[in-house]
Amino acid sequence: MSDAAATNKRAQRQAQGRYGMIGKTLNELDDRLGIAKGGRTFMDKIFPDHWSFMLGEIALYSFVIIMVTGVFLTFYFIPSSALVTYHGSYLPLDGQKVTQAFSSTVNISFAVRGGLLMRQMHHWSCDIFVGAIVVHMARVFFTGAFRKPRELNWTIGLTLLILAIGNGFFGYSLPDDLVSGTGIRIAYSIMESIPFVGTYMAFFIFGGNFPGTSTIPRFFILHVLILPLVILGLLGAHLFLLVRQKHTQFPGRGRTEKNVVGSPMFPVFMAKTTGFLFIVSGITALLGAFAQVNPIWQFGPYDAARISYAVQPDWYMGFLDGALRIFPSWSFMAFGHTIPLEVTIPAVIFPGIIFNIAYLWPMLERKFTKDNEIHHLLDRPSDRPKRTAAGVTVLVMLSMLHIASSTDVIANFFHLSLNAVLWGMRILTVILPIVAYPLTYKLCKELQGVRGAGKRKTPNIVSRTAEGAYVATPTPAYGEDVGHELEATPVPAYIESEPEEPLESGVRTVDR
Amino acid sequence: MSEEQEQRTPVSLSGLSADDPRLQPAAKNPKTVERVIAITFVLGTLFFAGFGALFWVDAKPWTLGATLGAGMFFVGVGLVAWGKYLMPRGPFVEERHVLANSDADRDAFAAVIVERGGVVVKRRKMLAGLAGGGLGIFSLVALFPLVRSLGPLPKGTLFHTDWQKGSYAVDQNGRRVNVGDLAVGSIMTVFPEGTQDSDRGQAVDQTVLIRISNQNFTTQKGRETWGPMGYVAYSKVCTHLGCPVGLYEQQLQLLVCPCHQSMFNVTNGAIPQFGPAPRPLPQLPLYFDASGNLRSQADYDQPVGPGFWERHS
Amino acid sequence: MGVTSTLLRRVPLLLAAGLVASAPLLLFVGSANANNLNPPPTTRKNAGTPNSTIVVKNKAGVVIKYGNKYITYKAPSSKLDTLGRALFLENCASCHGTEADGVPANGTSGAYPDLVGLGPATIDFWIDSGRMPAKDLAAVEAPRRVPALTPAQAVAIAAWVNSLSASYPDIPTPHLKNANVAEGAALYALNCAACHTIEGDGDALAESTFSPSLRHIPAFQVVEAIRTGPANMPRFTGNLSDQQVSDITKYVTTEIEHPNNPGGLGLGGLGPVAEGFVGLLIGLGLLMLICYWIGDRS
Repeated sequence: MSDAAATNKRAQRQAQGRYGMIGKTLNELDDRLGIAKGGRTFMDKIFPDHWSFMLGEIALYSFVIIMVTGVFLTFYFIPSSALVTYHGSYLPLDGQKVTQAFSSTVNISFAVRGGLLMRQMHHWSCDIFVGAIVVHMARVFFTGAFRKPRELNWTIGLTLLILAIGNGFFGYSLPDDLVSGTGIRIAYSIMESIPFVGTYMAFFIFGGNFPGTSTIPRFFILHVLILPLVILGLLGAHLFLLVRQKHTQFPGRGRTEKNVVGSPMFPVFMAKTTGFLFIVSGITALLGAFAQVNPIWQFGPYDAARISYAVQPDWYMGFLDGALRIFPSWSFMAFGHTIPLEVTIPAVIFPGIIFNIAYLWPMLERKFTKDNEIHHLLDRPSDRPKRTAAGVTVLVMLSMLHIASSTDVIANFFHLSLNAVLWGMRILTVILPIVAYPLTYKLCKELQGVRGAGKRKTPNIVSRTAEGAYVATPTPAYGEDVGHELEATPVPAYIESEPEEPLESGVRTVDR
Repeated sequence: MSEEQEQRTPVSLSGLSADDPRLQPAAKNPKTVERVIAITFVLGTLFFAGFGALFWVDAKPWTLGATLGAGMFFVGVGLVAWGKYLMPRGPFVEERHVLANSDADRDAFAAVIVERGGVVVKRRKMLAGLAGGGLGIFSLVALFPLVRSLGPLPKGTLFHTDWQKGSYAVDQNGRRVNVGDLAVGSIMTVFPEGTQDSDRGQAVDQTVLIRISNQNFTTQKGRETWGPMGYVAYSKVCTHLGCPVGLYEQQLQLLVCPCHQSMFNVTNGAIPQFGPAPRPLPQLPLYFDASGNLRSQADYDQPVGPGFWERHS
Repeated sequence: MGVTSTLLRRVPLLLAAGLVASAPLLLFVGSANANNLNPPPTTRKNAGTPNSTIVVKNKAGVVIKYGNKYITYKAPSSKLDTLGRALFLENCASCHGTEADGVPANGTSGAYPDLVGLGPATIDFWIDSGRMPAKDLAAVEAPRRVPALTPAQAVAIAAWVNSLSASYPDIPTPHLKNANVAEGAALYALNCAACHTIEGDGDALAESTFSPSLRHIPAFQVVEAIRTGPANMPRFTGNLSDQQVSDITKYVTTEIEHPNNPGGLGLGGLGPVAEGFVGLLIGLGLLMLICYWIGDRS
């Protein structure tokens, strides 16, 4: 084809202007970027509809909320441990010497318009963010979505969880209030407990012996710049891999290893997911409105000699706190050195083991099952009893440790002896996971024997005939269920249900 | 046939007819659903407007959150319902292509890396070695300013506090403690005079002073002179993770750590009786001078606070 | 093979597993009251000394009222002795003995606290906060209850016990308009929060002891508790001046009682434990339910 012919054709196409302004803009973009084909494919990208595939979206959208509210907070927060005398609107602090970090956080809560709402939304969405990552990971684990070819995305996801927990801790520490200051003290001591390098690590990271000189400024830059950048980058990689490798799907009618069945990106998924972004933001804002979180003005400023009873870290650090509470006092001396195992084991070695097993799990499973195939269809948890039982065991253990971080609250609530509750938690943390494994395994095996388990059933209408016999008639499927009876189709360019009518009344009616 | 429809035909990828069930909305009665969705959008808009007005007049935080949250929630529910009930219900399908390339493509890629690299590097082994060595040393050395300038070395700072022979015990305001200040069953936090306002004083030197009895009190053998007039002093830094051990139960005679509930018995040298703390709280030897002021005989006989590698006692 | 029958056949297995799982639970519920620690007895008599700028004496030269602009202390009138004795015999003597020395009629010394010389504020606090007369004698600690005796009766009993051996501290009246709530907040964080928690809700302490909530407590009882150190609470005497005690009292009776709490429900002052529950169960739970609505279920 000659250049002239091509130019001619392009001119013809532009002159037609078949799709108006939008079409013109897309053409201009395509001239420069060549996006038409890829764009069409992207708009036709199929998202499986199962509800559990949306758990990751909760995490994604919580992160969006964290970013937006976090940017707002950085406008007012002063990351400095310089002492100032507080003279704000909160009287019980009037005249107290507090750090600028603390006083600016109190000011965000009391003096900045909308500041308290933003602070509370920031904190709540962080709690939800980490929680959503955990349930999303549980879904991925129990359905085997981490198997080849998705091992790398499992690794990235796990790293995101650790970074989210870490950044949550840094953020929680920034206001320099009594409760979070105690948390920093504990973090310092945990670091100090590491053999060989612990004291050096602690001195370097905090800038000296506790409380150090650099804690707040360093935590600030980690919290608002470095870790968010890493999280953003990994999140991008996570989503890129998801698009590149396409979604997994549960087995079902018409679903194979070679296709994806569901809703197209545009418009169905886009409507749903944008709506969901709004819903997540809405619920976070409602929590921020009606449930108080981290009232630092009541806690007062941190001072190493002050302490409150009943201090716990945010929930995602709870398992560490619980492990530290229930672990026995096993410090020992060797070769003239102290090895504080009562700290190192629960706070360093134990989480290290748990996370490393999680990192290695896809490889371990491949090794033990000798299954090196590519999988796009998911497992039902009951079909893989060993994996399911192992996952439940770890979750039970972590839950028990989490509960152990509130022994005092339990003892107070049920009016029990604190010492007895602690012993109870020690025993339960060991016994329940041991019980959980065979129990889950057994349950999975039982479920395998049940026909139609996990399938949705339509109700039967039972009627009595004139002869007195009973007859069960299945009801016809309706609404969204009808879809499951149909053969899946590639997405057509036009998906209206009827030809466009001239807009006479202004409202186009849709009849069936 | 209108011109509009004529233009449409060539790009339509499938021969689905307009009444294909997969192109129908999922709702049984789309009109009703449409009305409900319209209501959610109107509600959302109203709430957003309310949010704007409340923000303008600087209303209470909860009203801001309530209107913003409700607005977002309604708009979100409307959008989702639109997608779920009024858009074509499918199911739609997409082919999944094998990600792996052909063996020839793979070989070509590997050949580029291995052979092209081999030709260049193998021929210049020495250069490659030197360059690798240089980059290696650089990456090691580059860590130096990043790590070493972060903070001071621990040196001896973890091994002693500011309590010295003859330090006056003062409260947080710098007032010296006198022999008559505490009744039996009282507790207070003291610092060596001059450090009460410093970070280090609060973090490292903080000490709990308890009056156990009216008589000189011996907590352990060898500490006969440490508790004059029943005053005993222990480091307030927990030996588990460094929290201030500020919780004194005077009938049980226990100091309890508020963080992880280690329990130390103050009558026998703060030996841990329960919980995760591995070591007793170090005891500070005290005496009263001629004018009745409380002073320390010496520094603690061991490092205070949580365990660390270099600690040798 | 239906799921029901399958599960039914496994009932013994499930029961056994359940039993094993709950054994430690039963164990720690059972041992909840096994508090066997016998603390060394502490001498608690003659708490505090009048350290004041205002001292009012009666004609005989006996101090009847003292204090300063922050707190005044007043000894109960000796005219109440007779009434107090009668009330004591009726309500207290079965344990503390007819002479208030902790020796009941048919008992031995040491089983119950000796009240002689404890000072009027101590007696008044225990009765006025409803802890005495004790309802459950086996309990490790007497919890706060609706008082069985009126404030006037409490003062009368305090008057009689004090007549056996006059002692301090007397019954305090704080004058909170002179107190500084910010100073109180700082002192509270240093001296009180370690047990009562920073929001004043109280919690479980060692063994079967508990720190009570500080809400709904009259100001004079806060002063009495600080000055006398009831039960396991340490007492604060020379290390806290009357001014400092009134600061703390003001903080407790105003800010802890009615916290300036923008931002919604206080979640019971349980801090991150309650926050985790709300964030996960309500926040994440609700969102998961919505996912369930949005998505497909097969």
